[in-house]
Amino acid sequence: MKLGLAAAFLGATLLAGSASAADKRWDGADDLPVNPLACSASEANAAPAAKPYDGGRPSNAADKAGKPITLVDVPKLIGIGYFNATSKGMQDAAKALGNVTVKTDGPTEAKIDEQIKFIDNYITSGVDGILFAANDPVAIAPVLKKALSKGIHVVGYDANATPDAREWFVNQAEFNGIAKAMIDSMAKEAGEDKSFAIVTSTFTTPNQARWIAEMWAYAQKCHPKLKWLETVEAQEDNNLSFNQATTLINKHGDKLAGLFGMTSVATPASAEAVTKAKLCGKVAVVGLATPNAMKPYVNADCVKSVVLWNPVDLGYAATYVMRAVVDGSLKPGATSVDAGKLGKLSVVNGSEILLGSPFIFTKQNIKDFDF
Amino acid sequence: MTAVTLASAEVSPRRWLKALASQEALLAIAVIGLAIAVGLYNPRFLAARNLSDVLLGNAYIAVAAVGMSMVIISGNIDISVGALIGVLATISGTLAVNGAPIVVAWLAALVAGIAVMALQGAIIAYLRIPAIVVTLGMLSILKGGLISVTGGKWITDLPDSFHLADIELFGELPFPVFLMILVTILAALWMRYSASGRAIYAVGGNAEAARLCGISQPRTIVMVFALHGLFAGAAALLYATQLRVIQSTVPPNLELTIITASVVGGVSILGGAGTVVGSTLAAVLIAEIASALVFIDISPYWIRAVQGVLILVTVIADILRRRRMAGA
Repeated sequence: MKLGLAAAFLGATLLAGSASAADKRWDGADDLPVNPLACSASEANAAPAAKPYDGGRPSNAADKAGKPITLVDVPKLIGIGYFNATSKGMQDAAKALGNVTVKTDGPTEAKIDEQIKFIDNYITSGVDGILFAANDPVAIAPVLKKALSKGIHVVGYDANATPDAREWFVNQAEFNGIAKAMIDSMAKEAGEDKSFAIVTSTFTTPNQARWIAEMWAYAQKCHPKLKWLETVEAQEDNNLSFNQATTLINKHGDKLAGLFGMTSVATPASAEAVTKAKLCGKVAVVGLATPNAMKPYVNADCVKSVVLWNPVDLGYAATYVMRAVVDGSLKPGATSVDAGKLGKLSVVNGSEILLGSPFIFTKQNIKDFDF
Repeated sequence: MTAVTLASAEVSPRRWLKALASQEALLAIAVIGLAIAVGLYNPRFLAARNLSDVLLGNAYIAVAAVGMSMVIISGNIDISVGALIGVLATISGTLAVNGAPIVVAWLAALVAGIAVMALQGAIIAYLRIPAIVVTLGMLSILKGGLISVTGGKWITDLPDSFHLADIELFGELPFPVFLMILVTILAALWMRYSASGRAIYAVGGNAEAARLCGISQPRTIVMVFALHGLFAGAAALLYATQLRVIQSTVPPNLELTIITASVVGGVSILGGAGTVVGSTLAAVLIAEIASALVFIDISPYWIRAVQGVLILVTVIADILRRRRMAGA
């Protein structure tokens, strides 16, 4: 029996050794077309193929163009830093516009049934417009359609609903935009001809797979000398992410100049691994993450760029979009909308407004965010 | 069946220990053999730093597996431990960020761990409800409760002094590795030489015989679960203090990894046999395999398959060993 066990171990080891794949780079592999952005901001981007407007329309909405309006904002939940920040952006926009009153109200837990009740109550009590971040894109649709049928304008942000249940959706970031920000930051911090590895959730997670596919395409186009070592999976597990990042550091040694964290779990865990290995400044960590989890590493100068979007700007843009819809300046078929201090934002995917380039949290600005 | 087990209980403690020692020796050989094999493929694997990191990142599993081994040896099982570790980590972290003295934050995890597990042990022992049912219920309560209470919000801004796992002893030895070794040795000695430790084997091996020998089965089971809770609390502390963030969720599949360590370590799933030295070596082996897969460029998804093979092989070996013993 002992012999059998020993043989099994040996067999597994040999099998593992011989099966090692030659091509270790994994680049998303979801076979969807990629659309890398231009390398520098000054180059004009080819306009994406226009898609017809696919949002909904309110019936018999009162004409309040230029008149004061009252809005309600129903985020996924209230009382957390992220939605406090979007709410602050809305208040900023209301102040800048002068003729908008907006109030944030919603469930204390991210529960779709609660959220529906809140929206339903505001339909009954009467508002001019509803801003929302959906807990569930499909389940929220009926109540939003009810609002549209009562002549209430509906604009989403952060988390979408099915398009026909709202008029516009403010999209915080597109895959290729995130990919560009990530690769540009890595090339800047690690060096144009250095090697990096990626810690992701799983190879089958759609968002991460899309980001990595776009990152590969963009790196090929704009930073062709960057070397992709490999991508490892770490689920959405803190300790596994840490162990995987540590293993990558130990495996590649001096060759490794950068680590990408593809999830808000993997990025702080990778930063922790680099800190523990005393390689801050030698191995750059770039990734998607929320500011609070990254503050210790950013303040210790171990991490320079945390890529995400600015939720204050997101709330600000959503309010400007709502005002433009009420005023009639943002109509189906429009290609851009004016968003105050954010400038002109473009329309993508038929009925979405793109917030713009991702936001990069640095040592200078990260203290201003609490989520 | 009863007669056979009784007979072997009389003749064979030494034989049992011998057989188990060989399971442990086998695991030790596997740990070293795998290290050499992977080292040949990629010498970096053998760097002191990497070997230490493998132990450091997984010590909490070995610590929890010590308690799990006791539970399984006593003839029970616990599938709530992964969820409990998530809850205890959150409790401890919440206290720490809200300004409680760090020692209180640490002790709270241990005390809460003992309380929850002792309660489960009491329900199992006195109400005679199978452990799998009780702990399945607790798993749901803890999992659902944790999400409801925290809303999935992460704990950040933990004070530096909270990070128990950062402490290094004797210059280089990380505290989690030290704790893993210490806990394993103490538990192994206690289970082998003390009357209360031997009672765990007696209760799991043959409850009726144990009763006739004057061992209280319910009391032993409550004690085992309370100890298991203490080890779960210690594991939760190592788990929580390794990173600067506590996720406030239940770590996925953690209980399965812990049970796997116990079973691969030679703890009989039928109760009554096994040692914590084996479970710790198995935890090290599983961690080593996970790291090795990255070093030899294999998808970490294989770790599940490899764990499965290990479980099947050891359980089959255990059953065959018992049969041979019964025949002899």
